[in-house]
Amino acid sequence: MPPRHSYILFDPEKCTGCGTCEMVCSQRNTAKIAPSSASIQVIRDEDLGKNFAILCQHCRRPLCLEACPTRAIEKGDDGIVRINKLFCVECGLCTMACPEAAPLRDQKTRGINKCDLCDGDPLCVKHCPEKALTFTRGKAFRWIKGLRWSVQLVSFLLLVMILVGTFCYFTAGAVTLACPAGVLQNVASSKTIVLVGVSAALALLILTALAGRLFCGWVCPFGFILDLVGTIIPKKIGWPSFLKSRMTKYGVLVGAVGASSVLGYQAFCTICPIGSLCRSYGVQGVFRGAELAIVPAIASLEVAERRSWCRYFCPVGAVLGIMANARLINIVIGAKQCKKFSCTQCAEVCPVGVIDKDLLREGVSPIIPMTECIMCMRCIDRCPYGAAKINVRWRKGVPGIPEETRL
Amino acid sequence: MKAQEKRISDVKRFAGVYRCVECGKCVAVCPMSDMYVNFSIAMSPRGIIKKAIVGENVVGDENIWYCTECNAGTDVCPQGVSCRDLIHGLREIAMDDMIPANMKQCIVCHKPFVAVPVEHFVFARLSAEAPNVIRVLELCPSCRRERYMERNA
Repeated sequence: MPPRHSYILFDPEKCTGCGTCEMVCSQRNTAKIAPSSASIQVIRDEDLGKNFAILCQHCRRPLCLEACPTRAIEKGDDGIVRINKLFCVECGLCTMACPEAAPLRDQKTRGINKCDLCDGDPLCVKHCPEKALTFTRGKAFRWIKGLRWSVQLVSFLLLVMILVGTFCYFTAGAVTLACPAGVLQNVASSKTIVLVGVSAALALLILTALAGRLFCGWVCPFGFILDLVGTIIPKKIGWPSFLKSRMTKYGVLVGAVGASSVLGYQAFCTICPIGSLCRSYGVQGVFRGAELAIVPAIASLEVAERRSWCRYFCPVGAVLGIMANARLINIVIGAKQCKKFSCTQCAEVCPVGVIDKDLLREGVSPIIPMTECIMCMRCIDRCPYGAAKINVRWRKGVPGIPEETRL
Repeated sequence: MKAQEKRISDVKRFAGVYRCVECGKCVAVCPMSDMYVNFSIAMSPRGIIKKAIVGENVVGDENIWYCTECNAGTDVCPQGVSCRDLIHGLREIAMDDMIPANMKQCIVCHKPFVAVPVEHFVFARLSAEAPNVIRVLELCPSCRRERYMERNA
């Protein structure tokens, strides 16, 4: 089990720039009160009346550790990045490599000080009079996460276990629902358009246009299997770059429709992992053999990248992605609200990898393509500063700002 | 020219190079031996101190630009010679007198903040591990903090 990511959160709205954190920190470092030898630094802008604290984020992959020529910096089992003073030669290369410039050079003694979280009980957090600093161990359970897993479990049970042969096509009274990719193939193979089938496919398409690819992240039974496998398989090895084209899935869709028009039956549906999952459990028997072999085969692609099937190959996702271009709801990661350059936890947890780390480090809000985003809301759940949000297109005007000043 | 020689002799005296006994303890702990493949006696602190003692032109020497200005050699010296102060002083003279200086400048404040060979070393280490984050090396640490402040405030 990897160590918990523990770090200190800083709120610039509450900070008054009093410097108490610097004083208590320097007292722990050198047994005397000298703010220059502290491991936290408050920079103050007197004209604007704004303050900001420079402090170590204890990165998951620390760059200071890479740059250190004597290998004096190490990340412990508890997730805390420490400088081993026995080997440190105070060259200052860690200060250069750190995106936050957080290892601080003492201007008097020329030493290097870096936060070690006081071994798990930070003094600066304890003594901050305005509670601008808070210590977090990285919450293990958040409510969107729990909600998503339970919705996925319930829909998996509904689609696979209880309602036989569902998602692909099922009827319950007047309500008819169908897989849009399956309906496309059906139309191509039979050369006739059945209105009931088209209207059944429209239900899912309209949902996607309204709320993004919610189906992929929250409902899809195969996505649920992939998420489960992803929590078990630890390491990602990465794809070769020539395979990493997100256009591949549109090619798969066109190929599937073309093949079914030639062959006369729904070509892709016979090997579709979602479909074979849905058909595997029913009155004919439980987990029928050869067809279901595609599920572990594709689930093993998770070793390369999370949700690699959904990213590059899934034709159902391709149909939904075209509809999601309406962008009535989109995910926004506001660089103004993001408080740390080097955090990028949203990019780390994103299962389809659409968040641009480099833009975030530059301080620019990345544009998230809604054709790729599966609306799992992991980024919203994970962001400690509330910078990742859902933006609704039809909301008129931002409160407090007149309509004319907006673009 | 006279003023420059005066400054160089001041730097030498301040660093205490004339007390050096050439024991080589500073070379043993110097991180440059791990950092550069072409580490040699001319680049080592002992070699540069020796050059300074015999009065060669150390300011124009390219070997003074490899040092990281760390504290290791000064810590272990039995005679109290500070190779860091020597290198630091020599670099300042070189930058003031327009002798071709090998320092990387910050793209915002245009102040030199790190020697180019040291920057190459950090670049190589980081590009092996994290190829997308080496842009931070273009800014000096203080400018990075200022930009950080601008962005977040």
